[in-house]
Amino acid sequence: MEQETNSYISFMLGDEYFAINVGKVLNILQLVQITKVPTAPDYMKGVINLRGTVLPIIDIRMKFGMEPIQYKRDTVILVLNVEIANEVVNAGILVDSVKEVFELQQDEILPPPGIGSKYKSKFIDGVRKMSDERFVMLLNIDTVFSTDELVMLQDSTETKEAQEAEKHE
Amino acid sequence: MDNFQKKFLEEASDLINQLEQALLTLEQDTQNPELVDSIFRIMHSLKGGGGMFGFDNISSYTHKLENMYDLVRQKKLKVTREMLDITFESADHITSMLNDDGTKSNEIKRNEEILNRRIDAILDGDNFSDTSFGPAESLEQTVSGVKSYYVKVKPYEHIQRNGTNPFFLIDELVGLGKHKVNIFYSNIPDFENFVLDDSYLWWEIILSTDKDEDAIKDVFIFVEDDCEIVIQRISESDIFEMPKVAPLLDCRQDFPFDLDKIKAICQEEAVKEKEKSEAENSENKAKVNSGDEHIKKFTKESSISGIRVASEKIDDLMNLVSELITTQAGLNLYAEKNKDAELTRITENLENISRQLRDTAFSITLIPIDYLVVRFRRLVRDLSREVGKEIEFEARGAETELDKTLIEGISEPLMHILRNSIDHGIESAAERMAAGKTPGGKIILQAYYSGSQVVIAVTDDGAGMDPKKIKRKAIEKGLIAADSQLSDKEAIDLIFMPGFSTSEKVTNISGRGVGMDVVKRKVSDIRGTVQVSSSLGEGTTITIKLPLTLSIIDGMLVRIADVDYIIPLSVIDTIFAVEHEKIVSAFQNVINIEGSQYPFYYLRDEFGLTDSAPAKEEIIMVKYEDRKIGIVVDNITGEYQAVLKPLGKLYRNQDIFSGASILGDGTVALVLDTHKVINQFTKYNEL
Amino acid sequence: MAKTILIVDDSESIREVVNFTLQNAGFEVFAAGNGIEAQKFLDGRTIDLVITDLHMPEMDGIGLIKYIRATAGYNRVPILFLTTESQLAKKIEAKDAGATGWIIKPFVPAKLLAAISKVIR
Repeated sequence: MEQETNSYISFMLGDEYFAINVGKVLNILQLVQITKVPTAPDYMKGVINLRGTVLPIIDIRMKFGMEPIQYKRDTVILVLNVEIANEVVNAGILVDSVKEVFELQQDEILPPPGIGSKYKSKFIDGVRKMSDERFVMLLNIDTVFSTDELVMLQDSTETKEAQEAEKHE
Repeated sequence: MDNFQKKFLEEASDLINQLEQALLTLEQDTQNPELVDSIFRIMHSLKGGGGMFGFDNISSYTHKLENMYDLVRQKKLKVTREMLDITFESADHITSMLNDDGTKSNEIKRNEEILNRRIDAILDGDNFSDTSFGPAESLEQTVSGVKSYYVKVKPYEHIQRNGTNPFFLIDELVGLGKHKVNIFYSNIPDFENFVLDDSYLWWEIILSTDKDEDAIKDVFIFVEDDCEIVIQRISESDIFEMPKVAPLLDCRQDFPFDLDKIKAICQEEAVKEKEKSEAENSENKAKVNSGDEHIKKFTKESSISGIRVASEKIDDLMNLVSELITTQAGLNLYAEKNKDAELTRITENLENISRQLRDTAFSITLIPIDYLVVRFRRLVRDLSREVGKEIEFEARGAETELDKTLIEGISEPLMHILRNSIDHGIESAAERMAAGKTPGGKIILQAYYSGSQVVIAVTDDGAGMDPKKIKRKAIEKGLIAADSQLSDKEAIDLIFMPGFSTSEKVTNISGRGVGMDVVKRKVSDIRGTVQVSSSLGEGTTITIKLPLTLSIIDGMLVRIADVDYIIPLSVIDTIFAVEHEKIVSAFQNVINIEGSQYPFYYLRDEFGLTDSAPAKEEIIMVKYEDRKIGIVVDNITGEYQAVLKPLGKLYRNQDIFSGASILGDGTVALVLDTHKVINQFTKYNEL
Repeated sequence: MAKTILIVDDSESIREVVNFTLQNAGFEVFAAGNGIEAQKFLDGRTIDLVITDLHMPEMDGIGLIKYIRATAGYNRVPILFLTTESQLAKKIEAKDAGATGWIIKPFVPAKLLAAISKVIR
C-alpha cells in the first residue's frame, strides 16, 4: 500500500501548536464583528454573516479550558467543516494565529500519548514532532465539537501538577 | 443513498400521486381511454425505472398491472370496481416498497401475494359480466384474437439428462389457453431396453389461445434440440367453440388426432362465420358510438409541469437573492448620502429589479395545495367507505399556493381534521334523514389568501359541536373547574386542551387521544393558528391560518446593548417608552402602565448584560396566550422585513431565538421568539 | 416448503438482483461466488435449481455444469446459465455439458422468473 500523505494547517492557541487536516478547513477569515447570542455557553462567541449564511463562532481556547482569547492583530477565524452526529455543520473557530501548511506522511504521525499522560487521546489523532523538538497536536475537530461541555485536553487532576513540573524543567 | 435511487424515489412518488388522481377520476368515468392510457404509462414507467434503479420488486410487481391495463386499453378487459380497488391498494403497496428499509419485508411479501392472486383472477378473465359497472360496452366480439393450434411434442430419449422435465413443457403449454392433451405411450420399450432416466412419452395437444404463435414457440425455447416439435395453426378462431369438431377432439390412448378432418371442418366453420359477422357488423355499428361522449378532460398530469429542481439549489438561490437585496439596500444608503442623481436613478432601478427577483424566487418555493388534495380525496373515499357513510368532498381554491415547507407541515393536521369530520362530525345516513338532512354528507375544503396569510378552512355539514357536552367532558377529565363560567365559544375551544376527546367510543380511525391539541401544536409549529366555529346540528368549520412563507417575518427591529433583535409584528400589541428607573424599581417584575399592571421581562438582566443601560428604554407589550406581557429593550429602530435564517445546530439549545437575519449593513440580527422567552424566563424567576 | 435455488456468479450485484427477485417470488436463495464454492455448497445437500454464470474464476460455469451432472443425485437438477447474446457457441457447449436452459444478460426480473418457471414448478 502506498504511503498516505495528508496536508495539515497549523495554528496557535496560546503557546501550544495545533493542526487540523486541510480537508476540514473551508477558509480563513479576517476577524469581523461577532454578534453575541445571549444565554449560550461562554465559549460560543456568537455568529457572523458569511456570504449570506449565519456562521457560529467558537472561542476554542475557552472550550479547551484556557483563558478567553484576546483579539490581536493576528487573530483570525478558521472556517471549518465539522461532522456532528452524522450531520455536516459549518463553524468558525477563533485562533491566535495561523502558522503553516505542512504535509505529513502516515508514518510520521506519532500516536497520541496514552492514558495517564498529558492529553486526552479522544480529541487528538496524533502528534508530530517539529524541527524545534516541539510537538504539534493533530486535532480531531469532529470529536471536539461533538461534546457540549468543555473539552479537557488534559486530565484535570494532572493539569496543575503537570504545568508546575514543566515550569521547573 | 445513491443519487439515482433518490431521483427515482422522487419520480416514483410523483407517479403514485398521479396514479391516485387518475384512479379517482376513472372511478367516475370508467370508459375514459385517456385515463386508462395514463395509468398504463405510469405502470410502465414504474416497471422500467424500478428495474433500472434497484427496485426490482416494484418492477416485477407493476408488470402484471401494466399487463392488466394494457388489456383494458385493447378493450379485452373492462374496468371494474375490483380492478380499481386493487390498483388503489397497489399504489399503497408500491409506496410501502419504496419506503421499505428491509424491516417490513415479510409483511410486504404477504400483502403482495394476496394482491397478485387478485390480479391473476382478473387476468384469467373472471370479470366479464356481472361484477363490472359503468355503461354497457360496445358489442364487439369479446373473444376476438383467439386462434387454434395443433402441437406435437416428442422429446428425445435423453432429454431428462439435462434436467428438463417434459411434463413442465406440457404444463406450460396448456397454460396458454383451452386444450385437449393426448398422451402416447407407444414409444415405451420393453423391459430389457428400458433406461430409467430416459423419456419415452410424447404428446399431441389441441390448443386454443389468444397468445400468438411466438408464445407457443417460446415454451420450447430450451429444448429445440432435444425435442421434436410441430406447431400448426388449424383455425383462425376458437376450435372449442365449434360443436361440430368436438367428437374429433376426444382423446383415445395412442390414437392420434385426425388432423386432416379437423382442419377441414375448421375451414367450413370459418367460411360460415365470416358470412354471419358481416351481417351483424352493419347492425352493430350504430350502437357502438354511443359510449364516446362521456370523455371528460383529465387535468394535465404534470400540473406542476416543468423541470425538477433539487431543493438545495432553491435554498442557495434564496440565499443569494437575500444577499443581493441587502447589498442593494446598502447601495441605496450610499446613494442617498452622496446625493448623486445619476447614482440614485441607477440604484432605484436596481431596487426594483431586486424586488421582482425576490418575488419570483420566492414563488418558486410555492406549491399549490392541490398537491395535497389528492391525498385528501383518497382519505375521504377510503374512510367514508369504511364507516359506511356517503360523503362528498369538494376542494375550492386548490390552486392557492403555499411554501413548500408548509405544505408538508399542514398535511397531517388537515388529514386529522378530515378524519374527525368523517368519523365524528358527519352523522350516519339514518341520523341525517331523521334530522331532515340529505342522507349524504359534504365536506368542503377552502383555501384562499387573506392579507399576508393563507387561510385553509374545512367545513362539514355534520352534527356540529355541543358546547354543553364539551364542557361536561372537560369537567370530567378535570381540565376545568366544575363551576367555570364559559360562553359557548369558550366551551368549544376546550377541544384544544391536551387530553381531550369527545368521542364516546375511541374508534380506530381517528386514533386514540390524537386530539385537536396535537393539531394546534403542529399548526403553531409552522407559525399558524387554528380556530373552530360550530353550530349544533348544522356543522363545524375549522380554520387554519398560515404565514405566506415561513422564511419572511414582518418584524420590529430593536436594539439591546450592541446587538440588534427582531420581534415579529404579529405578537406586538403596543409599545411604551419607559424610564430606566421605573424598570429597576419595579417590584417582582410587574410594572404599572397607564393604570394597568403588567408583568415584564428585562432582557438586559435575563441576557446577563452588564454595560450601562440608557436612561430611557422601551417596553414592548407582546401577546402571550391571552395576556399581555412586557419585553424591555433599549430602543426601537423601526419596522423591518426579515429573511429568517437558521442559527444552526450549534445553537439548537438557544430556542428563544427562532433564527437570525442579515441586516443591510451585513451585521446579524437575532429573531426573538417572545413566547419561548417568556416561558424560559418564567421558570428562572420562580426559582 | 419453498423451493431452493443456488445462484453462482462472481458479480455481487448480479447475485443481489437475483437474490432479491427470487426471494420476493417466494424462493429460498443461496449464493456462491465461483464454481469451487458452489461445489462445496452442493456437497451433501439437495437443491431444486442452479443458476450459474459461465465466466468465473477458479472454475468456470461449464466445468461446474459438468461436475453437477456427474454427481450422483444431481443429474436431474435443472441448471440455467447466464449468457450474453453474442455467446452462441458457449450456449451449445453449455447445453452439451448438461445445462437445461439459459437466461440472457442483461435481464429484467420478469425474464428471470419466466425462465425459472419453465424448469421448476
